[in-house]
Amino acid sequence: MGLLEGIKKYSQENPAINTQNKEAFSMFLELGFPTKNDEEWKYTSLKKIISKEYKIENKGEKINENEITESSLGLGEKIIFLNGELLRNPEISGVTVTKKTNNNPKYHDAITALNAAYAKNGYNIVVKKNTQITEPLEILFLTKNASNNFIQYNNSILLQENSSIKILENIKNLTQNLCFTNTKTEIKINNGGVLELNKIQDYSDSQFLIDNTNIVQDSKSCSTINTMLLGGAFTRNNLSFIQNGAHCESNMNGITVLNNNEFGDHHTYIDHKNEKCESNEMYKGVYAGKSNGVFNGKIMVRPDAQKINAFQANNNLLLSDDCSINSKPQLEIYADDVKCSHGCTIGQLDEKALFYMRTRGISEKDARQILTFAFVAEALEKITVPSLYEKSKALIEAKLNVSLSI
Amino acid sequence: MREKNSEDELLEQVTSTEYKYGFTTKIASDTIAKGLSEDVVRLISKKKEEPQWMLDYRLKAYHAWLEMEEPDWANVNYPKPDYQEIIYYSAPKQKKKLNSLDDLDPELKKTFDKLGISINEQKRLSGVAVDIVMDSVSVATSFKSKLAELGIIFCSISEAIKEHTELVKKYLGTVVPARDNFFSALNAAVFSDGSFCYIPKGSKCPMELSTYFRINEAGTGQFERTLLIADEGSYVSYLEGCTAPQRDENQLHAAVVELIALDNAEIKYSTVQNWYPGDKDGKGGVFNFVTKRGVCYKNSKISWTQVETGSAVTWKYPSCILKGDNSVGEFFSVAVTNNLQQADTGTKMIHLGKNSKSTIIAKGICAGKSNGSYRGLVQISKGAKNSRNFSQCDSLLMGDKCGSHTFPYIEVKNSSSKVEHEATTSKIGEDQIFYCNQRGIGTEEAIAMIVNGYCKDVLSQLPMEFAVEAQKLLEISLEGSVG
Repeated sequence: MGLLEGIKKYSQENPAINTQNKEAFSMFLELGFPTKNDEEWKYTSLKKIISKEYKIENKGEKINENEITESSLGLGEKIIFLNGELLRNPEISGVTVTKKTNNNPKYHDAITALNAAYAKNGYNIVVKKNTQITEPLEILFLTKNASNNFIQYNNSILLQENSSIKILENIKNLTQNLCFTNTKTEIKINNGGVLELNKIQDYSDSQFLIDNTNIVQDSKSCSTINTMLLGGAFTRNNLSFIQNGAHCESNMNGITVLNNNEFGDHHTYIDHKNEKCESNEMYKGVYAGKSNGVFNGKIMVRPDAQKINAFQANNNLLLSDDCSINSKPQLEIYADDVKCSHGCTIGQLDEKALFYMRTRGISEKDARQILTFAFVAEALEKITVPSLYEKSKALIEAKLNVSLSI
Repeated sequence: MREKNSEDELLEQVTSTEYKYGFTTKIASDTIAKGLSEDVVRLISKKKEEPQWMLDYRLKAYHAWLEMEEPDWANVNYPKPDYQEIIYYSAPKQKKKLNSLDDLDPELKKTFDKLGISINEQKRLSGVAVDIVMDSVSVATSFKSKLAELGIIFCSISEAIKEHTELVKKYLGTVVPARDNFFSALNAAVFSDGSFCYIPKGSKCPMELSTYFRINEAGTGQFERTLLIADEGSYVSYLEGCTAPQRDENQLHAAVVELIALDNAEIKYSTVQNWYPGDKDGKGGVFNFVTKRGVCYKNSKISWTQVETGSAVTWKYPSCILKGDNSVGEFFSVAVTNNLQQADTGTKMIHLGKNSKSTIIAKGICAGKSNGSYRGLVQISKGAKNSRNFSQCDSLLMGDKCGSHTFPYIEVKNSSSKVEHEATTSKIGEDQIFYCNQRGIGTEEAIAMIVNGYCKDVLSQLPMEFAVEAQKLLEISLEGSVG
């Protein structure tokens, strides 16, 4: 039984969903899972994933303290979810963390409609006015299940006026059983709010993920999303920014290092709706083995959103003949007093640089490692939490080491 | 405030600049009833005195077309043409076959003079051989006999179907199959004429070959087909120009161009497209839905250069299939949209051969309330080792009501190829204009200068005769659209 049938069966067993978000659920049933005929999924096939059998919203097994410590980067306060349930909830002054109870979530496509239909777990973070949180907040989603399972989260973050917070998020599957996660995070940043959200995605081969993150910004707010995709059988990141106010800044940085049969897809969308805003986008990808990558970045500038500066760069290194990259940078501009650009490169390390290093007595492998790390380092430097920077650097170096030896 | 006023005045000026080629010629013509059916396809084929295999080809395409849907993925909005309201065949009446251009109907001759194709002058200069297609049929081809001495065949496609059957049969539809897309299927079913050109092995065509397309009759659609074959080691430079009368209705132009560059051959294909763009309120104008594609064999090269200033709606992607090792594909484009024009144009570079190279330079200029899009595909297959692509797409916006968009698709499947793509969108900087003003150059001239410099990469690729025309066109299209 594939996932679609499984979901239908689950909805019959739990009639509550049909009444709760009936419209969202019927929209999902009508559209079904997207296929390659869908322009937004042109290079990304869900076929293999949804043909598998999953238990839906399964309770799963218990976990011990050791497993938590091992999964965490151990940087600060933690919010921990186990098999979809909120397990630990820290107390931080100026921040309220509650279990998400929004029964009226927004949705705009089949995937988010499915999430809206019955995702009942997730966090709700509110950072109070004028509160500055300097210690990073770690959010961990853990799963430990005796069978394949399908889990959905529905999260929200609200930054009130002039508040700031730094968050890091990770999803971990502790078993070899497949875990397909469909998560959605709605973020609202009020005037003058500053958010840094770091997604560490060092997933295992048994993880499939669709991550939908939507950010709405008011004026003079700033958001930075850093995504470090370092593994996982299938990862699709849908990241969208809507700038409602003037003088907003949106930054997105991504590092992708994949090998074997891993697959990673970054879809970003930035909607400049108001004037005098800025967006910066930098995605670096290193692909080895039989890995596949997709990048789709769209910059939209609405009419009258003048004085916009929007930059986008997507640079990729292909290390083997069996890997591939499909890149689609897009600009849609309806205002004239703007500076928008995108650049995309796909290539290899500079042979001259390699040669230079070898003449200095550095082995070829080390030289490749150094140059490849330097290639992604530019995006890594956008992480402003020093401890997290060090941890991420170690993770990337370890992954590069493996990738370069394939 | 003062500046605003002069801006308005300038805008006023542009919109009142008339489309120079908007006249019609009163020529008796042989026109069939409007509408499309199997009988119409048979009738066209019969009028052209075509062999059976050609009719079969058309009918097959027609039936394929019936099952296809008009594409709507392009970033353009237009009322879908009613395909039963179009006249599919119209020909200026001419009794006998002409041997020389001197025998032309004087009315026709006048038309060509107005269009700036002075046949006599060209004869004197011996510069360009012209094939002229009016409405549905080719009316004149110059320098035919001179070219024939070199073994070069340059004639209308209907003549080629009869006289060079083997060549046409071998290559027609191999690059753009009838089923390729909605408009190519329609074209394959009803194309009435077009140009055919064959350059024999090892020869370099001594002059520019040129085709001039003109829609004259009201209510007609133009469906021409061009087939150009450059045999091993040959070279040809080919020019294409087009105009249409000013009419309130939308006229459909759905052409297919196929280029075949065999081993070591080189084809340079240049277009200055200046179909009637519609008036300032977007009334009338030509729908330009064109499929152009070339295939490159070993060490060969195809270079597309286009200057797109006309048409109400443009839907055009001249492409290269780089099949052979070391083959080269190039695409240089300037697309100008003004008033309510819409253009969705770009290219496809399909790398299949090793060491294949492609370059894409696309410059978009949008003014008024127009929308221009670049849509391109660079595909490097697994076997295309050491391939190289460089793409650059820039857009210049003039005025706050226009839009400019970029939709590049990049697909790479091996680790020895390099692909670079960059795109920018901006307007002419106030500092640049200020600098020119300071040196005593008026705003208008300054803009013309900046735009010219901006397009230089593309214009310099055009043959001399066309470069001058293209530059003038740019000036007319953009006159006064200071943003």
